[in-house]
Amino acid sequence: MQLNHAQRELTVKVVYYGPGLSGKTTNLQMIHARTAAEGRGKLLTVETHDDRTLFFDLLPVFFHTKGGYTVKVKLFTVPGQVIHNATRRVQNADAVAFIADSRRSAGQENNSYWNNLQDNMRENGLNAAQVPIVIQFNKRDLPDTKTDAELEETRARGKEPVIGAVAIRGEGVLETLFAVLQLAYRKMDEQAGLTRNLGLSEAEFLKLVFARMDVDGTQVRDWLAAGGGPR
Amino acid sequence: MSDGGDNGRPEPRDSRGERPESVLQRRLTLADMLDVGTFNELVKGFADLYKLGIQVFDEKGNRLAYIKVGNGDFCGYVFSFPEGQRCCTQTVARVKGGPLATTQNARAPQSAAGTKLHGMITVPCFTGLRYLVLPILWEGDVLGRVVFGPFTPEEMGELPTSLTDLTPGIDLAMAQSYLSKIRRAPESTIVKVLLHFAQLLETLVAAGQKTYLTSQVHIEATLESNRDLEAQNRRLEQMNVQLKDMDRLKSSFLATVSHELRTPLTSIIGYSEMLAEGLVGSLNQEQTEYVRTIMDKGDTLLKLISSILDVTQIEAGKVRLTFEPVTVGDLIASAITSVRPQAQKKGLTIDMKLPGRKVEARADREKLRQVMVNLLSNAVKFTPKGGWVQVLVTEVKFQPEIDADGWRFVVQDSGVGIPADQLEKIFQSFYQVDNSSTREFGGAGLGLAIVKSYVEGHGGVVRVQSELGQGSRFEVILPVSPPPPRAVISPPLSEAPPSPPERF
Repeated sequence: MQLNHAQRELTVKVVYYGPGLSGKTTNLQMIHARTAAEGRGKLLTVETHDDRTLFFDLLPVFFHTKGGYTVKVKLFTVPGQVIHNATRRVQNADAVAFIADSRRSAGQENNSYWNNLQDNMRENGLNAAQVPIVIQFNKRDLPDTKTDAELEETRARGKEPVIGAVAIRGEGVLETLFAVLQLAYRKMDEQAGLTRNLGLSEAEFLKLVFARMDVDGTQVRDWLAAGGGPR
Repeated sequence: MSDGGDNGRPEPRDSRGERPESVLQRRLTLADMLDVGTFNELVKGFADLYKLGIQVFDEKGNRLAYIKVGNGDFCGYVFSFPEGQRCCTQTVARVKGGPLATTQNARAPQSAAGTKLHGMITVPCFTGLRYLVLPILWEGDVLGRVVFGPFTPEEMGELPTSLTDLTPGIDLAMAQSYLSKIRRAPESTIVKVLLHFAQLLETLVAAGQKTYLTSQVHIEATLESNRDLEAQNRRLEQMNVQLKDMDRLKSSFLATVSHELRTPLTSIIGYSEMLAEGLVGSLNQEQTEYVRTIMDKGDTLLKLISSILDVTQIEAGKVRLTFEPVTVGDLIASAITSVRPQAQKKGLTIDMKLPGRKVEARADREKLRQVMVNLLSNAVKFTPKGGWVQVLVTEVKFQPEIDADGWRFVVQDSGVGIPADQLEKIFQSFYQVDNSSTREFGGAGLGLAIVKSYVEGHGGVVRVQSELGQGSRFEVILPVSPPPPRAVISPPLSEAPPSPPERF
């Protein structure tokens, strides 16, 4: 995160990471579609074609706090194959959404990308334990998908929140964003005292992020109303 | 994370050193995203089409585009009066740098109901003309502003009396005629034109942002890889220096140790010889046998130490070759003589085939003899009982391998052979195909390293062919007259074995 008191600006960086074709870009496209134009920038794809291909999507979402701060949430997708280069670009991610493919056949690939993520964070001087991660199990509608019980097992194996999703239909997308931003906020609050210094509480932060998003029919609406979040 | 404070730059969090701020962490300016030249052309076309002056400023007030249409004469005339100049300057400052809010004389524009104004404001000029100002918003930031005008509002009739009050002596008729050159239109129309312009600008900025980010990120990635490679190069260079140091140390250690070993060994052999020859009293048969064994083993040890010294001298670059005319056949015969006892012990036959015409060549006699002895003793050593060793010398003729006239010396055996993957390594010092502690064949692994160095010192090459279990064939190709000796014979050790070609 970058906190600039002079410009009264807080920039939050969230990285969507996972195996190729697991639905990272789809997540961003859905967030883009559900956010009013005043609250987001364009969904941008940066792509270079040569021997060291770089490819990522970038979607900025922003809002203004009562205290006069502009909060920019930059959502990146980072394709696994260039993680080495790309994590350097996005190395100071405040949180990571790990988009996994729910199909049993994808288990091995999920694992290898997961390990890769941990390795690369370590290589870039990041303590994996300090960067919160949320796991999204995407493509819950496809055959061969893991059962809810199996998802429950994955959840039990770690501390990361696990969210089922069908990103292509928008299911679970905002829930994942909510979860990842909630953890990002907690980490930033711990580091920079957002509540104290910016007068920005967790509830307020999340409320403002989602104020310009269409949360109808999602759990986010209930979480915002009642406070709380995913497990 | 960084608590930016005054400049907002992130602190480097990488222990490998500071890395410049990424374009992704920086707030882009309008000038980053627009090609100012092309943009000016577009603005000019737009201004001409709508007969309207257009100015575009970035957030710091720098003007990126400025196209005047029609108002030059009028504004110039008003500006020529002192009070007119003062008021004009004020209006321009308000338009260019004033708040993008309906304060300080600005108001909301008149527009058709339901028009989304995106923060547009109207700033009236004291002459009765008007400006429209629109913030350029991008991802929640104000990147600059577009100023349209001045234009004459449709409803404006005569010039306001405030103008005559402020600028006494103004010729209203002349001012009025100048005014007619300025676009007259309803404010709501100009609002629409400005909104249209804003759409165009947004498209341009979006395309520009993408291009800019792509190219910048690409440059950053390339620089990053470059930094990585440089760091890696530095590490490799350091390692290389270390390795060379170690190699030098090793050679010097070997030279010292060998020398220190040889001196007492000579005494051991000398005294044993005296004992064996009965110079200090006669020995019985058993004692003589024991002393001869001491002498034999001492000789073996001395040979080994001499080889080590040879190699260390080669490695230290201290070997010089002195070429003289030699008769190859004689030299080979002498070399065979020195290995014949071992061959006889194992029941090996040694055949020699010499060409019809004697081969006379220039060579370093001692070194060449050693090449032959080394190859022959290898052949004898690695050939099991009852096998054969063949020595062949060819006539002098052109040898493509060395691109000169030369001759070949071939030692072939029916021995154990060499595995194909080891063929490249056998010429390295201390290399043994069987490196286990229980290996069957003795030796220090120096013979072939010396052969290679000496042959190359003669401007020749050495080749090997072998089939495991079938035997080996070493072929030395030497020029008739070798090139003048190089000061340094390159040591075989420092020559890294070529890595196998990459498959993909």
